[in-house]
Amino acid sequence: MAQAPARPLTNYHGAQDIERWQARRRWARAGIVYTVMLLFSILFLGPLLFATVSSLKENPLEYPPTLAIPQLSPRNWSAAASLGRAGAGAPLWGGFAPGAEVPFEVTYFVPEGLEATPPAVSVPRRRPGGGLGAVQQIEYAADYASVTPAQEVGREPGGYVDEDGETLTGEVVTYGFRVLYEGDGPKVDRLPVDVEVEERDQVFVSSTLALSRLERRGRVASYDNLAPGALGYTFNNYARVFKEARSITTGRSLFLSWTLNSFVIALAKVVSTILFASMAGYALARLHFPGKNIIFVLILFAQMIPGQVNFISNYLVLRDGIFGLSRLWGQASLLNSLSGVILSGLVGAGAVFIMKQFFETIPREVEEAAMIDGTTQWQRFFRVVMPMARPALGALTILTFQGAWNDFFWPLVVLTTPEDIKTLPIGLLTFRNIYGATGDWGLILAGAVMSALPIIILFIVFQRYFLEGVSYGGGKE
Amino acid sequence: MRSKQQEVVAAYLFLAPFLITLALFFLYATVRAVFFSFTDYDLFNAPRWVGLQNYANLFREENFLFALRNSLVFAAVVTTLQTFGALVMAAVLNQRIRGLNFFRAAYYMPSVTSSVVITLIFLWMYQREGLFNYLATQVASYAPQLGVFALLLIALQIIQVLIERTRGYPARWLDPALFAISFLVAAAATWLLTFLGILLPRDAEVDFTWLQTSQEVPGAFPMALRAPVPLIAIMIQNIFTTIPTFMLMFLAALQDVPKSYYEAASLDGATPAQQFFSITVPSVQPVTFLVVTLGLIGTLQMFDQVAIFGNAVPIRSVITLAYFVYQRMFPGAQLPEVGFASAAAMFLAVLTLLIVLIQRRFIRSEAS
Amino acid sequence: MKRTTALLLASTFTLAATPTFAQTIRIQGYGGQDPAIVQRLLDEVIGADLEAEGITVQYEPIETDYNAVITNNLSAGTAGDVFYMPGEVAPGFIATGKALPLNDLVDTEPFIDSLLEVYTQDGQVYGIPKDFNTLAVFYNQDLFDEAEVEYPSADDTFTTFTEKIRAVSELDDEIAGACLPADFARMGAFAYANGWQPFNEDGSVNLSDEAFTTAFDFYTGMVTEGIAVQPSDVGAGWPGDCLAQEQAAVAIEGAWILGFLRDNAPNLAFGVAPLPKSDTTGERGNFTYSVAWAVNADSPNQEAAVTVLEALTSEEAQQFILEQGLAIPSREALSNNPYFEEETPEAQANLTIFEGASDGNVLGFQFGNVGTDYLTPLNNAMTAVMTGQADTQGALEGAQSELDAIIERAAQ
Repeated sequence: MAQAPARPLTNYHGAQDIERWQARRRWARAGIVYTVMLLFSILFLGPLLFATVSSLKENPLEYPPTLAIPQLSPRNWSAAASLGRAGAGAPLWGGFAPGAEVPFEVTYFVPEGLEATPPAVSVPRRRPGGGLGAVQQIEYAADYASVTPAQEVGREPGGYVDEDGETLTGEVVTYGFRVLYEGDGPKVDRLPVDVEVEERDQVFVSSTLALSRLERRGRVASYDNLAPGALGYTFNNYARVFKEARSITTGRSLFLSWTLNSFVIALAKVVSTILFASMAGYALARLHFPGKNIIFVLILFAQMIPGQVNFISNYLVLRDGIFGLSRLWGQASLLNSLSGVILSGLVGAGAVFIMKQFFETIPREVEEAAMIDGTTQWQRFFRVVMPMARPALGALTILTFQGAWNDFFWPLVVLTTPEDIKTLPIGLLTFRNIYGATGDWGLILAGAVMSALPIIILFIVFQRYFLEGVSYGGGKE
Repeated sequence: MRSKQQEVVAAYLFLAPFLITLALFFLYATVRAVFFSFTDYDLFNAPRWVGLQNYANLFREENFLFALRNSLVFAAVVTTLQTFGALVMAAVLNQRIRGLNFFRAAYYMPSVTSSVVITLIFLWMYQREGLFNYLATQVASYAPQLGVFALLLIALQIIQVLIERTRGYPARWLDPALFAISFLVAAAATWLLTFLGILLPRDAEVDFTWLQTSQEVPGAFPMALRAPVPLIAIMIQNIFTTIPTFMLMFLAALQDVPKSYYEAASLDGATPAQQFFSITVPSVQPVTFLVVTLGLIGTLQMFDQVAIFGNAVPIRSVITLAYFVYQRMFPGAQLPEVGFASAAAMFLAVLTLLIVLIQRRFIRSEAS
Repeated sequence: MKRTTALLLASTFTLAATPTFAQTIRIQGYGGQDPAIVQRLLDEVIGADLEAEGITVQYEPIETDYNAVITNNLSAGTAGDVFYMPGEVAPGFIATGKALPLNDLVDTEPFIDSLLEVYTQDGQVYGIPKDFNTLAVFYNQDLFDEAEVEYPSADDTFTTFTEKIRAVSELDDEIAGACLPADFARMGAFAYANGWQPFNEDGSVNLSDEAFTTAFDFYTGMVTEGIAVQPSDVGAGWPGDCLAQEQAAVAIEGAWILGFLRDNAPNLAFGVAPLPKSDTTGERGNFTYSVAWAVNADSPNQEAAVTVLEALTSEEAQQFILEQGLAIPSREALSNNPYFEEETPEAQANLTIFEGASDGNVLGFQFGNVGTDYLTPLNNAMTAVMTGQADTQGALEGAQSELDAIIERAAQ
């Protein structure tokens, strides 16, 4: 765009000179715009990305938060892999199997004047995590493991900066020990180990694999799994989502059930909405009939009245199986069943409104041509109108899917027990209640990240429809 | 005549699935809610007519009053900020540049994921030892650096603009080329001062309680106008999630505004701010109306966040009308109070309708 | 060929002679640590006998708000045949009419009377207590040792207890003496020690009673003085969390903390002491928390459900649960169990908690038909004082008027 200068210029610059000056300005402007946009991206994607990365951590509540995560360090990967190989010949997922001999080293700082003493090493009988995981009958590594006494393998002078910022001098001592699996027995998933020193002045510095936590004011270095394998170490929280959160009645992974339920509900709603909303939208846009205005007003009101008004009656309607109708297919109540959620949300007023708006933009002539052929209303709708509605249907599909996938309030009311019947969003609330109380955010974040994945993938593939959907309905169903 | 009748029949057949759903799950439900609100129904025993008792009890229930205050404050603050924020962002994004689609997609990401996921992530960041406090601590620690940087930036910009003007170029105060130079030089200088140890970071520790607090701000305001801190935490999360959606709606509208308007204004010497208020704002008036309406309806129904924050916050600080209704329907501690819940629900419905009608009037009259 | 048919016939016959249908009884209860307890009980103790009677039992834990969900299920008819009835909401559950009166079906004689009372209305027993809990002082021995402070003991009064907390809190800036939530379910025990009652005879509540205010000041004072923290102050979910993370030296909790510590701080060296005594009365106070098993009145398999309930509360079942250190039995006969003599910290904790039930002014954790709504104003007042937003008098005046309104509405 050739831009004339705004004000008369002083006489000693040529037009070319000014043009160059303006060009420089435009370049700088573009640079600033991109910078600002990048900053916005960090703002909007930051929390999601940061949560994703932190979901790998043993304890995402670690303070100060850092991106230097042990689970992302190649050194720990290779340590975890070789420990996994030593434990069960499984460098990826680790474990503890007969014949295992797991070598391990722990390094302490011993201040001057203190006698360095080898730590006591033990394999405790420990259940994997609280909550649902505690129910499963598991094999304990403690029943099969024996530990060789820790022996000094290295010693060198060194310093240590304590909490108050004072530098202490002394020695850095490394001890080595082995955990053995002698005789026969089952393969055990985890090998928890406690390494305990008597004096807490003998300070833990490092070990072959990063520790899970320090207990008893630094006396005990505790490892949840000494032979995790590379993936078992890095994706521990993700594996736990599937391994620990199992239905106590069926033994199936809750997270998988929730995902499946979410898919079933979302797909059913998409199909019914597409069909019924376009039928209704078409009638409202094209056909003449008495009562149209009343229906319009109802649609408007239905979009404005909060769900919390209608859920009371709707809850009762489902409870009684839609006036007992559900008994026809053997369900006394539609509460705690997926069909209840689906039947009560076959088609929303918003979807009808979108389709009506769309059909009004299609020229009548196309249909009129078909009318001359003597086709019925139905044939015209399915053969002529629906194919033309593809762009709108694409957006509506996405909107409906997204709405159903993320729906929280109504499933929360309808789906309460057993845990297997829930959808992902309310399942995550279960996670939050079980694991939030014990500060176990790793599992919650891992679940949250995984539950968002399908919709994010869908978004990346069908971006166009998502963004179109916004202009149709403003992101509301 | 026959074909007309046929058309009516066809229309109702087409509409049948929708009308049945609407009649059962909306009309019938609303009528029943009205009926329940005049009874003492408890899910287990037959309802008894109690007249207006439930409505009278509403205003004697402390939690209801808190819920009412919280809902109104939440709706007002969030709707205002998200509308304004979305419009500003749309104006910034309304550029003909390469890669716009990527940025649009990136910004939309929070709106794609469910409110549960985003709320959980924010809940985690709001922990006492969470990201928010950490970032605040960083800002507080490096306040001297930020201050020096800002001063340098302003000084350098003024100097450069004055030099350019004396050289006869039409430089504005916010000239982008000069600004970029000022920014880089100021940043480098600040870094150097810190590196040399002349400018030291402060030893500051921000330990703000976002969740377990019943603190309300601003303290000087009367009860009815204050916002509890945990509610503000939810506001921030909510704005974060909804801005992108509304931003895209504004952006769609803005792209229909001819570029020549801005060029003309620019030639007339209008600043970007002036352009924003005299061109951008009026040209998206209908979208603004839609965004405000959707925003009000959405915020008045806020429920998910309260349920997910749960016992991490004092219930009073975050309870909304929508949650109050749910809580009275399934209280757990005693028999369900369906009648009482229905009365609160009716109140919420009427309140929503009233507010939407009022804002309709308000924005219309301003437009004309 | 003929013989095979005969054999087949015969076997069908014998099969028919044993109980005809395999009945599945669904039982519903808390999530958290309970699934592990109940499932082991079923698998290892009572499951086989029930199986022999043709009854399979399925435990369905409810991980979210139990009371709300079970009410919801009772109304929908989808509740389990047998379900938990927590003491504090028992009046509400009984009012649903969905809990079967058990007087004629179950022998209530062996159960501790004061526990049964919680589930009794108009002479009818609606739930059989499965176990109970009281409060005790749990402390971190390492921290007391390091601070060279004597462990909390049975002789402590409010005053000496506070002194110990103060002394231990001076050890380190990062460590609090105690971790105290703003919860009447803890603080109330100290008011009871002072001789305070949750309801006056006319059903009203008196929060300006000195017996209440001194206990209130004792409890909240430790936080306002800075020697104790609220769990949220240190980013913990509850006091058990503070203790496990070594953020506080003392937590006042019940036996439920044991399972949590085992999972989250397996190496913690902890000890247990009874709650401190009142300075004025010299007595201790305490709550008894209990949960009962109830039978769903709508259950199609009521007879089998009662059988399951009897098995769940049988002597063997309670013996097992006690020996595993999981909970404290509700049968009087088990009070002399050898388990209580064991030296492990867990056995000691269980003994202290068991004795807490009969030491001083002990009341059930129940607030009539007001339910747990009773707690809300009190907890709010405690939060306000502990965070420095109000003084005792102002906070309690507000709580008093709120409580009055709640009680009035519940009486309607």
